[in-house]
Amino acid sequence: MNIYLPNKATITNIIEETPAIKTFVFKPHESFSFETGQFIELTYPGIGEAPFTPSSDPNKKDAFEVTIMKVGKVTELFHKAKIGDVLGMRGPYGHGYPVDSLKGKELLIVGGGVGLAPLRSLIYALYNRINDFKKIVICLGARSPQDIVYKYLLEEFKKPKNVEFRLTVDRADSSWKGNVGIVTTLLEKLPLDIKQAKGIVCGPPIMMKFASLKLLELGFSPKNIYLSMEKNMSCGMGKCGHCRLGKYYICKDGPVFIFDDIKDMWDIWD
Amino acid sequence: MPNKYLYTKNSNFLRFLDNLSADYRVFVPQETRKNYFWKEYKGSFQFSKYRTVTPIRQFFAPAIEHIDNYFSPDKSKEIKPFCIVGAKACDLGNALKMHDYVFLEGDIDASYKQMREKNLIISSDCTSFKETCFCLALGNMPYPETTFDLNISHIADGYFIEVGSKKGEETIASNKSLFEEAGSRMQTERENNRKRTVEEFRCQIEALEFPNENLLNGLIKNGHSDKLWAEEALRCVECGSCIMNCPTCHCFLLFDTKDKNGYFKGRIWDGCQYKNFTRVAGGASALRLREYRLRNRYIKKFEFFPERIKLYACTGCGRCVESCPAKIDIRKIFKTLNENSAKK
Repeated sequence: MNIYLPNKATITNIIEETPAIKTFVFKPHESFSFETGQFIELTYPGIGEAPFTPSSDPNKKDAFEVTIMKVGKVTELFHKAKIGDVLGMRGPYGHGYPVDSLKGKELLIVGGGVGLAPLRSLIYALYNRINDFKKIVICLGARSPQDIVYKYLLEEFKKPKNVEFRLTVDRADSSWKGNVGIVTTLLEKLPLDIKQAKGIVCGPPIMMKFASLKLLELGFSPKNIYLSMEKNMSCGMGKCGHCRLGKYYICKDGPVFIFDDIKDMWDIWD
Repeated sequence: MPNKYLYTKNSNFLRFLDNLSADYRVFVPQETRKNYFWKEYKGSFQFSKYRTVTPIRQFFAPAIEHIDNYFSPDKSKEIKPFCIVGAKACDLGNALKMHDYVFLEGDIDASYKQMREKNLIISSDCTSFKETCFCLALGNMPYPETTFDLNISHIADGYFIEVGSKKGEETIASNKSLFEEAGSRMQTERENNRKRTVEEFRCQIEALEFPNENLLNGLIKNGHSDKLWAEEALRCVECGSCIMNCPTCHCFLLFDTKDKNGYFKGRIWDGCQYKNFTRVAGGASALRLREYRLRNRYIKKFEFFPERIKLYACTGCGRCVESCPAKIDIRKIFKTLNENSAKK
């Protein structure tokens, strides 16, 4: 099989998360598994493809889920797709979250907007072995209450005893009774041993930038901050050249990076 | 091991190319107003003095390619391989090594692999040079030393041939009657010709005041914030000719479309000097300014590749200089970076 050609995957369910975001459940036709944080290329047959990090539990082998925000030509077509449609997929590519090396640590997870998609997969992976971690603080932000994804899962995320869950919206509406403010406002009074804790950040570039700076300000080591970098990966295998950032290919060397390794590059937030 | 050095007369060399035409699509340089262009062999061959206008990478990874149909049974494509006659040193060596790294390391690009295995490279010495040539400044010689199957050097009434690979050896073996053993005087003639070309060429190189090749990596690494990038990039019209004519550029874009056999995946050469090269859905782009893009090209060639495989992804062919309508000149860029770094 040529490395650039996709396999088939059938849409078995579609969940409307927000007006602009849907989660698609796929049944892959060929055997497929991924590590949390790795990405795949989804193909709209005959039109184009785009990179996504699956948002589902990496332990689930018979199906996988992808949460897609409508932002461009290909994602708009995905949004028009229906249950039963057959799309293309190839991957997984790159290096995901180093779950094993997080064992015994205190973790801070910071997510914004559709950046929750990879984090949801990570949360599943962590919750599968929740007693391996001392403490997990999850801080999530969304633009408005209606932009919150996975609302139906949030109660479940709060359940484990060693998890503290915080949620905020940039702009509230009349029904909202929770925190208001950007996600960095949640990063106060963290019940964590900051010097040792690991921070995991995923979201829009501007949010990742300010969240990372905030973590540094709080005393996190740059070696303990993990970022999920997303560029315009085309091939996914370090060949096509699009997603190179200095000496790294986001697709092959990432997409998950330790902040310390990339902090001196001038273009990481663009 | 048969003799590494052989000789063939002009007329026998043409018969050799005729024979090769049965198994290969044979391409030779053809001169048009002092420039050489790749043309399919039609019975005549002219020894080229210097490189062609376009590099040979099109024979290994074409500018636009139908990769394969998907969601349908595999059809094996049998492509008649190329025989490239008269490739110069600046298209071989590091240019091929870095392409091999990109396309064969890790996930293997099947069509590149196939072309790489099946194509026959008959390279040739440069006997002159263009105004834009500067391979010597990068420590590369104007005659092929590696990665060829056969190399030809023009001597007397024929060609001195050096065998460079098993494939080259086999090709000679199946055309034995056309070749004779080369005498040591022939080899001396080749060495003298090479020496003369290098000496003449060195005068042109010295006038460039090009920094020592060992400094290039550091000049780029420490020159990210040099004002030169913005100044030079002002003239860039984003035509992409530096990319398309570069023997070491390899970037491409995958695309999806349909034909009578169904959906297919294709690819087309792409490059970092184009505005949308790094653009993501939503509009963000790491290389959104021309100065970032210009600098990026140098970072890739003089930082990324040395870090990965310990070689500069530039062979000094000078095609980017020759083809740039804005006269952005890599040789001047390094000279200026060197001067600016001395001032710091």
